[in-house]
Amino acid sequence: MSILSRKVRGFRVLDLIGLGLLVVVVVGVYLAKTLAGGERAEIAAVERQIDVEKARIRLLQAEVAHLERPGRIERLSVVHLGLEPVPAQREATIDQLVGLANAGPPPKAKAPSAVAAMVQDDTVIPGTPPPAPKEDRPVEVAEAER
Amino acid sequence: MTPSRSALLGAAIPRWLTEKIWGFEHAFERARASGKAEDDTRLRIFFVLALFALGFFMVAVGATRAVLFSNAVVDAGQGGAAAGARADLVDRNGQMLAASLLHYGLYLDPREIWDNAEMRRALLAVLPDLDPGRLERVLRAGRRTFLVGALTPDERNRIHDYGLPGISFEPEQRRVYPLGTTAAHIIGFVDSGGEGLAGAEAALNEDILTAARAGGAVPLSIDLRVQGALEDELYKAVAEFTPKGAVGLVTDVHTGEVLGMASWPVFDPNKPGAAGDSARMNRAAASVFEMGSTFKAFTVAIGLDAGVATPESTFDARNPYQLGYRTIHDYHAARKVLTLVEVFQHSSNIGTAKLGVAIGPERMGKYFDGLGLTSPAKVELVEGARPLTPKVWNEDAVASTSFGHGINVSPLALARAMGAILNGGNLVPLTVRKLEPDAKVAGSRVMSERTSLQMLSIMRANVTGGSGESANVTGLSVGGKTGTGEKYDPAIRAYNGQKQVSSFAAVFPTSGPANAKRYFVLILLDEPHGTAKSAGYATGGWVAAPAAGRVIERIAPFLGVSRQSEVSEPAAPQGEGQ
Repeated sequence: MSILSRKVRGFRVLDLIGLGLLVVVVVGVYLAKTLAGGERAEIAAVERQIDVEKARIRLLQAEVAHLERPGRIERLSVVHLGLEPVPAQREATIDQLVGLANAGPPPKAKAPSAVAAMVQDDTVIPGTPPPAPKEDRPVEVAEAER
Repeated sequence: MTPSRSALLGAAIPRWLTEKIWGFEHAFERARASGKAEDDTRLRIFFVLALFALGFFMVAVGATRAVLFSNAVVDAGQGGAAAGARADLVDRNGQMLAASLLHYGLYLDPREIWDNAEMRRALLAVLPDLDPGRLERVLRAGRRTFLVGALTPDERNRIHDYGLPGISFEPEQRRVYPLGTTAAHIIGFVDSGGEGLAGAEAALNEDILTAARAGGAVPLSIDLRVQGALEDELYKAVAEFTPKGAVGLVTDVHTGEVLGMASWPVFDPNKPGAAGDSARMNRAAASVFEMGSTFKAFTVAIGLDAGVATPESTFDARNPYQLGYRTIHDYHAARKVLTLVEVFQHSSNIGTAKLGVAIGPERMGKYFDGLGLTSPAKVELVEGARPLTPKVWNEDAVASTSFGHGINVSPLALARAMGAILNGGNLVPLTVRKLEPDAKVAGSRVMSERTSLQMLSIMRANVTGGSGESANVTGLSVGGKTGTGEKYDPAIRAYNGQKQVSSFAAVFPTSGPANAKRYFVLILLDEPHGTAKSAGYATGGWVAAPAAGRVIERIAPFLGVSRQSEVSEPAAPQGEGQ
């Protein structure tokens, strides 16, 4: 008798094997989904955390850009540290040293440097745009609420 | 069926397939004819079963795949670019200029609030700028209502920590300009819907939206270090000479890239509505000026290129030049016969007008067209202003335009045309986009390379021994031309000597071959006032040239222009406030 036509308690063996395989597959899928569900939830939570962190990083980058505004750095370095751009006379390559030595010391500045004058001048705030002049015909602009 | 239609079907369906179908259809007839009708029925049942089995198999495969390999969670986590999101704007070195950041809108539902007083205290503690009147209106609204937007995640968390009922948040993207007023005019701003309205935000709107979908940033041509130095020196000049407006520009003459662009008065693009029209206007692109003597650079270049003059050609500037009903005088009257180089150095109107007349109206007009001075500056910015040009190119127009009168152009148009006479003779479009380091920009040839090299020498001579001396920087081989244009005053229906546009158009380094790295710098002050330090003068040589020199001195290291040994050359005086 062929295994295909053999019967156990009135059921063909082939049908029983098929049913058994079906049950195994259903249980297997159920277990896989259940076990993976926890992992997937964890992954989703981590993904959300990454998104939040990315948003925070971008916010911090924007804050860094805000704090490193050229005008602000200029103002802080001039007012608090007395720094100023290096003039050409104070910069030389090794090749130029002999020529500079032969030429002697550079002529002295006739007036305080631009930065020193600026620090003494109360009307100038380094790195800060002066206020706009009065407009002949000022335009009234309504501002939207935040 | 018409023959043509059957022919078409025959062409579309292979012959073997039609034969198989017909064969299958006639199987029953054949089986009955051969006395085996049951074979045909079995065949048909098998065929239907096979179709159903195939269908169920496909459904099973699809369902299994959907269950086991679904990417729903991953997709939800990544999200991708939200609709209408804008990419960051960065400078050419990647420094952030503009960004869309996640913010939150705060909504209140008064039906769920059980203690209004506590809600007021909590919200005003976290948001001290909140309008109490608006808060009261929302608390009485009777339904969920928007209270305030643009909350940072930190502000949101602080409100959230109170644990008050009736509060909810909606995420929203908000365009933020962390640099405030720095580079505001070239960056521009967007409307509340996220569409660019001004500056690069408007000019590169589509690029920004496309880059957002790809998750990238849009680099602009500006260098924040150059921009910072340019703005700082421009503001110093503004503070000293109190003009009505001011412009600063730095461009690469070979690529047309705008490396720095400053316009004063300034505005904060985070609050564009708080500034007036005057502050929001980008004077570098949207304003036109009678540039005055900086135009003499064009006239001299055209004269050289057209073969009308050589650097040694002489012009009699001993007496004012009578042209029709007009008499042309020199501001710095030399009262002698000048060579072409001396005409440039003394900024002689008489010499330049005579050269212009020798060039002729037709040729002058063609060259001006070729230099792009009679059309809006070719640049992506939408603010580009149309120039005001002579209606008719006659001798009178030529004499006026030869020294920068009777023609109004934007600073950007001037920069573009100047680039052409300084880069070897090619007119290239200006751009606010960053180009690749070795990008070859297509341009149209408007002058010979020889003329360009001659102009570099003449502009250098003007700084070493002419009106631009105060822009000299040791070792950087600065060249340039001063310009002071009187403004037309409608009140007196004439040019007003008290209202001037003073500028200095500089180039550095002038040394080296035509294709050497080279940059153009423009400082322009609109209606500056002379000071005691400037002996009351408000001309380009006094108010703009020193600022241009300081800008060049500061930006040269950023641009990779090294100082050449010039130990024999006298050092430029520092801080004399010329």
